Amino acid sequence: MTGWLDAHLVSMVDGVAYGLLLFTLAVGLSLVFGMMDVLNLAHGTLYLAGAYTAYALSDGSWLGLLLALVVGLVVGLLGGGLLAAAVAPLQGRGHLDQAALTLGIALIAAEVMVMIFGAQVLPTAPPSALARSVSVLGHSYPLYRLVFIAVAGLIAVLVYLAFERSSVGALVRATVADRDMVRATGVDTRKVLFGVFAFGAVLATVGGVLGAPIIAPGPGVDDRVLVLSLVVVVIGGLGSVRGALLGALLIGQVQTLGVALMPAFAPFLLFGAMLLVLVLRPQGLFALGRA
Amino acid sequence: MSATSSGMTPAPAPVRRPFPVRTTVLVGVVVLLLALVPWTFGAFTVATFTRALVFAVLAMSVNLLTGVAGMPTLGQAAYFGVGAYTGALVAIHWSDLGVLQLVLATLAGVVAALVTGPLAIRGRGVAFLMITLAIGEIGFSAAGRLDSVTGGTDGLSGIPPVVAVPGTEGLVNEGLIYYYVLVVAVVAYLAVAMLLRSPFGLTLRGLRDNEGRLRAVGYRTDSYALAAYVYAGGLAALAGSLWASSQRFVAPGDLGFEVSALALLAVIVGGVGSMWGACLGALVVVFTQDYLGQLFSGHAPLLLGLLFVLAVYLLPKGIAGGRSQWRRLFPRERSQEDDEAVTPV
Amino acid sequence: MTTRRTSYLLALAASGALVLSGCGGGTLGGGSDDAAAEGPIKIGLLVPQSGVYKSLGDDMKAGFEVYLEQHDDKLGGAEVEVILADEGETADSGKAAAEKLVKQDQVTVVTGVVSSAVMNGVVDLFETSKIPLVGSNASPTTLTDATYIWRTSYVNDEPGEALGKYVAENVDGGVYFLAADYQAGKDEVEGFKKSFGPAGGETVDEVYTPFPDTSNFQPFLANAKSSGAEALFSFYAGGAAVEFVKQYDQFGLKGDVDHYSAGFLTEGGVLDAQGEAAEGTFTAMNYNYDLDNELNKAFVEDYEAKTGMKPTTYAMASYDAAKVLDMAIEAAGGKADPEAINTAIGEITEVESPRGTWTWSNIGTPVQMWYLREVQEVDGTLRNVVVDELGELGSD
Repeated sequence: MTGWLDAHLVSMVDGVAYGLLLFTLAVGLSLVFGMMDVLNLAHGTLYLAGAYTAYALSDGSWLGLLLALVVGLVVGLLGGGLLAAAVAPLQGRGHLDQAALTLGIALIAAEVMVMIFGAQVLPTAPPSALARSVSVLGHSYPLYRLVFIAVAGLIAVLVYLAFERSSVGALVRATVADRDMVRATGVDTRKVLFGVFAFGAVLATVGGVLGAPIIAPGPGVDDRVLVLSLVVVVIGGLGSVRGALLGALLIGQVQTLGVALMPAFAPFLLFGAMLLVLVLRPQGLFALGRA
Repeated sequence: MSATSSGMTPAPAPVRRPFPVRTTVLVGVVVLLLALVPWTFGAFTVATFTRALVFAVLAMSVNLLTGVAGMPTLGQAAYFGVGAYTGALVAIHWSDLGVLQLVLATLAGVVAALVTGPLAIRGRGVAFLMITLAIGEIGFSAAGRLDSVTGGTDGLSGIPPVVAVPGTEGLVNEGLIYYYVLVVAVVAYLAVAMLLRSPFGLTLRGLRDNEGRLRAVGYRTDSYALAAYVYAGGLAALAGSLWASSQRFVAPGDLGFEVSALALLAVIVGGVGSMWGACLGALVVVFTQDYLGQLFSGHAPLLLGLLFVLAVYLLPKGIAGGRSQWRRLFPRERSQEDDEAVTPV
Repeated sequence: MTTRRTSYLLALAASGALVLSGCGGGTLGGGSDDAAAEGPIKIGLLVPQSGVYKSLGDDMKAGFEVYLEQHDDKLGGAEVEVILADEGETADSGKAAAEKLVKQDQVTVVTGVVSSAVMNGVVDLFETSKIPLVGSNASPTTLTDATYIWRTSYVNDEPGEALGKYVAENVDGGVYFLAADYQAGKDEVEGFKKSFGPAGGETVDEVYTPFPDTSNFQPFLANAKSSGAEALFSFYAGGAAVEFVKQYDQFGLKGDVDHYSAGFLTEGGVLDAQGEAAEGTFTAMNYNYDLDNELNKAFVEDYEAKTGMKPTTYAMASYDAAKVLDMAIEAAGGKADPEAINTAIGEITEVESPRGTWTWSNIGTPVQMWYLREVQEVDGTLRNVVVDELGELGSD
């Protein structure tokens, strides 16, 4: 048993890092879907924009990272605002039109980013103080990923507390459950919706800035990240922060520990896991409000 | 005529719709125009039309689920792929006769959909979408892995030219291949049209509009959903066989996410629920990607992106969504009548 | 349904017909299919201009153009017109682009093609239209009996085959195979085993990673590390190669498990992206920018002046494709005659190339020398440096 644990400990740790990265992406997607009923297929584009920001601005110093975070925050706010404004005229037209619109935007944005940054994958170095590997119980592991676990874990806890324990969170959860009822109490739900959209977008771009050394920016990364977060969201249950967190951690382990244990079945694990969950519980593990 | 297959339930609404004279005339004129294509255009344009027609059959299959039964799918490429590989394998190992390939491919698609359908219809809406996505992706990975059957990721080549009429030569000329595809596509279109006019078709629309009520009055809605899924799977596999015959090459990419997504987007651009809209959408998508994309070399994704954004804003109901939205685009034309509902088929 | 709607649909169809009718006569009945005998010879350059393979496409385009610029935009003394087509990412997009070149632009000859799937998909097209394709990258092992298809690159299993014997003789212990899970990856591993096993090499395990969806190689690398293998043989290219090499370093395999790979791993821009993590990696390739011959010096100089980068094997193979066409068009009398050019290509006995002189094998690929390269720091930048010759391949 200890031998097994020793062999797979790094995979499990890495699964946590991977899962937390997925959480920062998925939570925005999940809330926007749960609250606004908007299927935002340009969500992966936000991650990619954040990752390119990190590539362009981080120069190995802490200041560079800080600058990238600030710019990433602004990019997220702008991107989220633009997307929210873009889908606003589509209210009541169903998911398919939103999907076509946001996918169209994602295709255009992807092309623009290739024009700016080229078609190569651009590995992004973390601050040089963190750009080395340390020993985790005798196994070499990148220090940056350990720090990432701490930072992303903190973000996850803050997001969780904000949504489950604060009054603003209560309002958001209420909007997920019954938008009309909240509107009837005199709250401008449109502001809540815009706020959540922008918040989700900022989480995605900040996730991109922090995640760039783990999933480097390049063409196609937007799609890959989008599909992963969609999987997390539907496994967790739409509109649920708790669901997104558990779904993300589960997928993280499937993609690391699962792959280490069953490398021959690697291409089938992600979608196999999702299929299993959805067939048993079509509404996801933690469904809130409308199924 | 209003009886349903189960016989134990009241019919949705005992409508007896008159024979659609105008639609028939319209379809006839369109088919006539399509028949002129090989006499008018060069080989590459004809080949692009051929791809568009195959894609139109796939789009109809997606529309049957998405637009008619209200179950948006991202997995139809899996059944398209089953049909393509079956058609190709029959052609390589057994017979180059088109009818045989079409029938066996369709059967294979039906069987595949029967086996996987019960999983898919466990969910509705986004859950259904994601389950079908998973089926599609697993099919894609499997196609790349089963080297001995599918030729792996490098694809299956060496498919002999298809023989349309027994005893004749295989089809090599683009114009003749186009006619072969056109004839099968028209037959498929008519088959779908008949299905939609049947009580079963009406029930499927009920499934989309209010499944709860349908269930409340005694319909086993899951059976209807599964039947629609199997029908759509067979249709997608039929398209796959046409693909194998016209391209004479099948690769795992044909089962890929992109194919499913483009088919779904073609349906949205064309007008969800409308079959001729789906066909037009397929035409627009294929020509944007293969034709304009080559004209502006390397920018096909950008062009598709612009197409989708513009279509969603300017044609909210799709190309087939009635004239009022077109009128809004070209305001010089005076309008008298209001928007008309999307007429399926 | 109204008659007005009918007329609107007809108008739509008619306008669509008008838009497309610029493309000449019909396919059936009196089409004008004969290629223009006058004017420049049309050459189709089929390379990715979009998608994940775009950077390879850019290299190949630049390599071809350098040759043209060195020769006053003439091949075989004839004026040429290069028509670019976007291969894209998938077999379908590449096939559509090839069809456009052959059927609409009516080119005399085509060059390029990055993806093996596209190459397989267009075999029938070129064989039935009798248009020569001088491929400059993709080269599936199964393509052995084509008449109109040539490749100036290599065969997919050769980089592995070149390396197998060397690794068997120089590594004291087991070797772990990790490769991208698609046909080219399997071909490389098969090629490696072809010469590795007979030379007494010991295999630990053979694992394929999902392609192109793997960006986190940690679980695979962890398994390789705990297997106790002495060395790793890998096949990755492009973005995956960057991630793989960096993580090989991050997860502590560097310095512990030696890394051998097909040359694509460290070819071109990916090496800059990999940085120090790549140092000490051994790869097999048919070319390196530092090869010492006059032709290569001129090629490297002109290529650098044009692009600011050292040429890659992709650029070199495309340069050689232009060279092959130059020789063949000249032998065919400078006319746009696909059949004559194809015959002339087959009659070429020796090609002077930046990689050294090579000849055709009996399946239309080069018989050429392979080199062992190591990633070393040269004047402050990381470069592939030729450290040994691995022998000639392609003659059987």
